[in-house]
Amino acid sequence: MRAPAIRALGVLSGAESATRATSPARSADRGSAGAISGPPQMKSLKKETVDPRILTLARPDRPGDRFRRATRECLLALAAVDAMLEDGKTSREAIAGERTALLYVTAAAYGASNREFIERRGGVMHFAYTAPAVVPAEVAIEFGVVGAYGILIGGAPATLRAVEQAARLLEAGTCDRALVLVVEIFEECADLYARHRRFYRWPLVETAACLWLERGAGVLAFESARGGRRGRGAAREGERFAAGPLADLRDWRARGSPGPLELSGQWRGEYARLHWSPEISHARGSAA
Amino acid sequence: MAARERVVLTAAGVVTPIGQDLEAFWSSLVTGASGISQIERVPVADLRVQRGGEVKKLGRIKDWRGVPDCRASRLLIAAADDLCSQAAFRPLPLDPARVGVVVGTALGGVEEGEKALAGDRGRRRLPDALYDAPGWNLARWLGARGPVITVSTACASGATALAVGADLLRSGEADAVVAGGYDALSRFVLRGFDALRSLTRDEVRPFDRRRSGLLLGEAGALGLLVRERDARGPRLGTVLGYGSASDGFHIAAPEPEGRGLERAVRAALADAGVSATDIDLVSAHGTATLLNDRIETAALKRALGRRAHEIPINSIKGSLGHTMGAAAALEAFMCLLSAQRGLIPPTLHLEESDPECDLDYVPGQARAARPRLMLSTSMGFGGCNGALVLEAA
Repeated sequence: MRAPAIRALGVLSGAESATRATSPARSADRGSAGAISGPPQMKSLKKETVDPRILTLARPDRPGDRFRRATRECLLALAAVDAMLEDGKTSREAIAGERTALLYVTAAAYGASNREFIERRGGVMHFAYTAPAVVPAEVAIEFGVVGAYGILIGGAPATLRAVEQAARLLEAGTCDRALVLVVEIFEECADLYARHRRFYRWPLVETAACLWLERGAGVLAFESARGGRRGRGAAREGERFAAGPLADLRDWRARGSPGPLELSGQWRGEYARLHWSPEISHARGSAA
Repeated sequence: MAARERVVLTAAGVVTPIGQDLEAFWSSLVTGASGISQIERVPVADLRVQRGGEVKKLGRIKDWRGVPDCRASRLLIAAADDLCSQAAFRPLPLDPARVGVVVGTALGGVEEGEKALAGDRGRRRLPDALYDAPGWNLARWLGARGPVITVSTACASGATALAVGADLLRSGEADAVVAGGYDALSRFVLRGFDALRSLTRDEVRPFDRRRSGLLLGEAGALGLLVRERDARGPRLGTVLGYGSASDGFHIAAPEPEGRGLERAVRAALADAGVSATDIDLVSAHGTATLLNDRIETAALKRALGRRAHEIPINSIKGSLGHTMGAAAALEAFMCLLSAQRGLIPPTLHLEESDPECDLDYVPGQARAARPRLMLSTSMGFGGCNGALVLEAA
């Protein structure tokens, strides 16, 4: 399959905020996050956390009444797209329209809103926000992205599969650009993860990322198999679930993009690998 | 460009409020049976609407040993049991590593999360609360060792799953894929829709002037997909094309003009390589909410042009409620069975026409017809629109 070119990447990571502090109740800092400023460093949204084993991202501030009830995962998704646009040095108009596909992946970001709705903790949680589909919906609404879409639930292999799916959509001419959006948050369910801590590699690193792909010239190979191998990124920095591959991609770019690029990850015993050929290309100029 | 690999559906299995196998489901649809009843499995006394399409007793499987006590997983596995009994697919007749599973869901195993948060410390409650858990439980039950994928495009999930399953076959990643959708009724979703005031106290009346909302249902619906060149024996039909598009309008309400659905339909027709004039039957999303049915009608008129006025369009949600992640898969199977049996199920409880819904929605009783190409449409939370084009066997 023809490999897509990487146009831009935005990654917000709890690891960069480096706030493993133990602090008062998490509700105290709701809405206290600073504004996002951008890539390539993409200063993470600092937040203190009640659980030192979770590296968290704060709820971003976003002006507008529309976002009054938006969930943290939705706002982080928007922030990741903002960061991606900054990385690409372009404006939101460049991704608007029906020629942009949007693929969203998460293993567990919906856990926070599901829990809030079940426990009525917020009291006013809009039921629709419990659906994973609402995270990419907020991106679609905010940035006018109305092309093909897909939503995969799972860990790192699902993200690699989404990149492959994006490559397929680009190759088929279904879209001119494809965004792969990943959000993972953990803090609201920290106690639940702690009950099953043996399943995860700690710390859990909250991450929101968006990858912009366009048609490219290299070759992309995807493979998956059942087996227990772990991806490098997860071993190095903690567990990011579906967001691991995009964090690895960010690191690869930070190292000067030494080709070839290989992204990998595992989830529930499935190991997946995505290999970009050495001809990996970075799209240049306007995406319009 | 090389012709695209054709993917066929060789068998299907279902568990629904109107029947716990494909034949019972079909019989109930064509005879106008209703699966709507008082909900008994979860407490609903405090809810405004207490009815839905509940599967009263999962009777297909007598011995659930080795299967988690998870309603969503069991709906899926019951549907798989029906599928396997028709297709002789368990034990697997081919290399397990070449068998994939693709399921669509709006809710996954959320009820397990409800139980865990209510104090149930069962070892599997939390892991099964993740939305992809039932898909993995199904793969384990089947013995499948190929790719396991969960998609969650809200109420279009079943359509997305069939399309992703077809892609897995085309890419050569699997030689057979069990694909479809499921969702269970839980207090979580009943309370949510109750709060949204989307549920009706009346019958579910798609496209009727008096329609006043939907009722939820639960179901599992799975099909066996293989490449056409690998297919042996009987088949239900072909998954010819798929299209999707976001509304980009509102998190819960559909875009007022139905532009997203129109784009999805156009994309599906293009993907299938057919034109609107080729379509013989539309299985509409048809939820019976005021907005949905009007918007869907308008979108179909624009996407299909004059053809929209010439062909039957039905909705089966009056019979079994809105089964969320299972809905689109069930509707796809209904389309293929219509072609096979030469009969189109009616839109139940459609009695008074609405000037804004002025197409042929098959009111009253089943209609004799043998469609060749069919379109199935879906719309969901977050402005997810999906459309499938299916071809008769």
